[in-house]
Amino acid sequence: MHIPENYLSPATCGVMAAAMVPVWAHAVKKVSVELPKEKMPLLGVGAAFSFLGMMFNVPLVGGTTGHAVGGTLIALLFGPDAACIAVSIALLIQALLFGDGGILAFGANCFNMAFILPYVGYFMYKLLLKAMDRSESGKDIYKYISAAVGSYIGINVAALFAAVEFGIQPLLFTDANGLALYCPYDLSVSIPAMLIPHLLVAGVVEAVFTVAIYAFVRKTAPDMLYENIKQTGSATEAKHSPIFALVAVLIAATPLGLLATGTAWGEWGADEIAEIENAGQALGYTPAGLANGWSLDVIMPDYTLGGVNEVAAYIFSAILGVALLIIFFKLASLFIKENKNGYAS
Amino acid sequence: MGYIKLSNITFTYNDDEKPIISDLSFCVDRGQCVLILGDNGSGKSTLLRILNGLSFPQSGEYLFDGEKITENCLKDNVKSKLFHKEIGFLFQNPDVMLFNAKVYDEVAFGPRQMGLSDDEVDRRTKDCMRMMGIEDLYDKAPYHLSGGQKKKVALASVLALNPSVLVLDEPFAGLDKKSETFLMDLLFELKESGKTLIIATHDEARLERLRDVSLRL
Amino acid sequence: MLPDWMKKSDNYAPPRDGGAFVVKTINSIGLVLSRLKVQRGHEKEHALPAVLKLFIVLSVIVLISVTQSRLLLIGVLAVTELYLSTWPAEDILSIVKACVFAAVLAFIIMLPAMILKPYGIGNNLIVILKVFLSVELMNIFNHTTQWNHITGALRKIHIPGIFVFTLDITLKYIVLLGTLINDLLTSLRLRSVGKNNKKYQSVGGVMGVTFMKSTEMSKEMYEAMVCRGFTDDYSGL
Repeated sequence: MHIPENYLSPATCGVMAAAMVPVWAHAVKKVSVELPKEKMPLLGVGAAFSFLGMMFNVPLVGGTTGHAVGGTLIALLFGPDAACIAVSIALLIQALLFGDGGILAFGANCFNMAFILPYVGYFMYKLLLKAMDRSESGKDIYKYISAAVGSYIGINVAALFAAVEFGIQPLLFTDANGLALYCPYDLSVSIPAMLIPHLLVAGVVEAVFTVAIYAFVRKTAPDMLYENIKQTGSATEAKHSPIFALVAVLIAATPLGLLATGTAWGEWGADEIAEIENAGQALGYTPAGLANGWSLDVIMPDYTLGGVNEVAAYIFSAILGVALLIIFFKLASLFIKENKNGYAS
Repeated sequence: MGYIKLSNITFTYNDDEKPIISDLSFCVDRGQCVLILGDNGSGKSTLLRILNGLSFPQSGEYLFDGEKITENCLKDNVKSKLFHKEIGFLFQNPDVMLFNAKVYDEVAFGPRQMGLSDDEVDRRTKDCMRMMGIEDLYDKAPYHLSGGQKKKVALASVLALNPSVLVLDEPFAGLDKKSETFLMDLLFELKESGKTLIIATHDEARLERLRDVSLRL
Repeated sequence: MLPDWMKKSDNYAPPRDGGAFVVKTINSIGLVLSRLKVQRGHEKEHALPAVLKLFIVLSVIVLISVTQSRLLLIGVLAVTELYLSTWPAEDILSIVKACVFAAVLAFIIMLPAMILKPYGIGNNLIVILKVFLSVELMNIFNHTTQWNHITGALRKIHIPGIFVFTLDITLKYIVLLGTLINDLLTSLRLRSVGKNNKKYQSVGGVMGVTFMKSTEMSKEMYEAMVCRGFTDDYSGL
């Protein structure tokens, strides 16, 4: 799932990296509260473990092998926030030292594999466990099923995000003739191309790898697992705020906003893009179409396709979106606090 | 005719560097005990790796029971398995040999693969654990044992394969006095029953009575 | 003391069984270890400082990615190949292998698009060229820079100490844990003398032991740091 250099436009890479900033900030903050000081070297060690996990060849049928990303596993072992940092570092080393995954695409790769994958996987695990094990019997089988399904869903959602990142390239980044400048496949191709192998093979590899190791550690040293450290740990647990995730996803979604050619978000689908494609101007969308969508043209009337302006507009819109969101949430939290105080008094 | 025969072995890790083993030849007969002696970094471990088919010399020939051992011939799945079944290797650090959740599974790992009946697997596993005095630990996780216990589990899991050659890398390191005496007795019995022993050590005196040949690197 | 069955030798014919995952993993981790342990490249004594090199490489990669000028791409390509041509043949080979592989992969990925929309071939070829160039530049950088100089370079551009400290630990532990995994897999291979019906348990065992060892080692490392006067202040590292 490592996206190499130049399949994504630099603007997309910039946006994805920007989207990771709140995630990293949140993860660092939470880890420093949650992890006792003597566990700080664990982040580096966890990153090394994550890196080596990605190198591990998992046996499949008939002597073939496959690789797992192990994002959910790292989250189960070290906790989702430590996992986010550990996987990011592992990805950085892969990009910087081994040329695996692009340097510019680092933000996008982190978004998919260090953010979406471990958090989705971990919370699916939690959710399923809660749903299945109502009496909190703590039976192993429930935990293993939750871990398997959680990691399977985690990697597939991550693959879906990667597919969308690929798929929006030809729609947003075209030359004067409307020809794709980066990845040439739109969503109708990129989504099945990414998801089918992940649903059939990579997801299974991920689930098997996760459960095999998780089960072994549960059997031999359960006190080393994150869920058990948390229960007995003296450190006060920091609350998870969903805001960071929302902010990150929304920044990442700005390109989708650019795409909304007069269509409401929810209604927009792969079919429609095909329609647009058929409507003459190959693959492209027109500035006129944009006018109905985002209010970009109001802010930057000179907005044109291709070249520096478009890239700048793209990034500015992302930054603007983040800033507005932060302002919004700060104001919202102000109100919530006031309300709470009101109840208290 | 030697059972294990090395002729003119030369091995280097890096092409430009001085070889760690150069032009080494020796021969071991079935049932003999060979001591491999040498200081740290003299190439003991490398030689043991070559004997176990984990590294391959740049030049020279290694014959095991009349069969030439090369990288290519060990690529053959069946041949390689037969070879590894016949030659058991006790690593210096027992930690790296223990990857199962329970001591019983650790010792049974080899026999279970050999297509023996369940009763036979159970018998061999229990025999080996009893022999090493670790039968009480059967449902413990090897990971949490003490260093000496780990060594015993590791040796039991090698013996469970019933190899005809035992390659031991510093078998006495980390054992207490009682376990040392016990291991000495065991080695004598193994030798008496016709097993070939190859032992890397820097403590020649202790194994004087056991050895037939010494090889100083 | 010896049981009877041990006094005899077995008459054993092993079955055929996969287990390729063990050998493949040993090989791929071995490659990483050799890359981190031994410097295969040729770092000259009076080479550019790593931080400057990193800056140049990153700038050029950004430039390549942003530009649509074919002239500029050809220019960068020409300069890079000219520089590479001054290298010894062996080093050139290891660079060329990596970037040709990346380019071929990109070509295969782009192939359906090129067939379906032939009018877009020009742009697709440019993407392939860009992939080739970026991979080549990154490989040249890796090949001529030791990893401890890379972390040193990051320190110089004022990336927070805790981050560089973590990165340093990561690289060291990749070597330590990688060696552990390889040793575990080697002993697994030596004892895999027949059909392993529980391969996934073995995978879980190898990586599970590695995980437990890693948490233990990180605790010991912290204790060793404290014993040498460390006072929980990561910012100065």
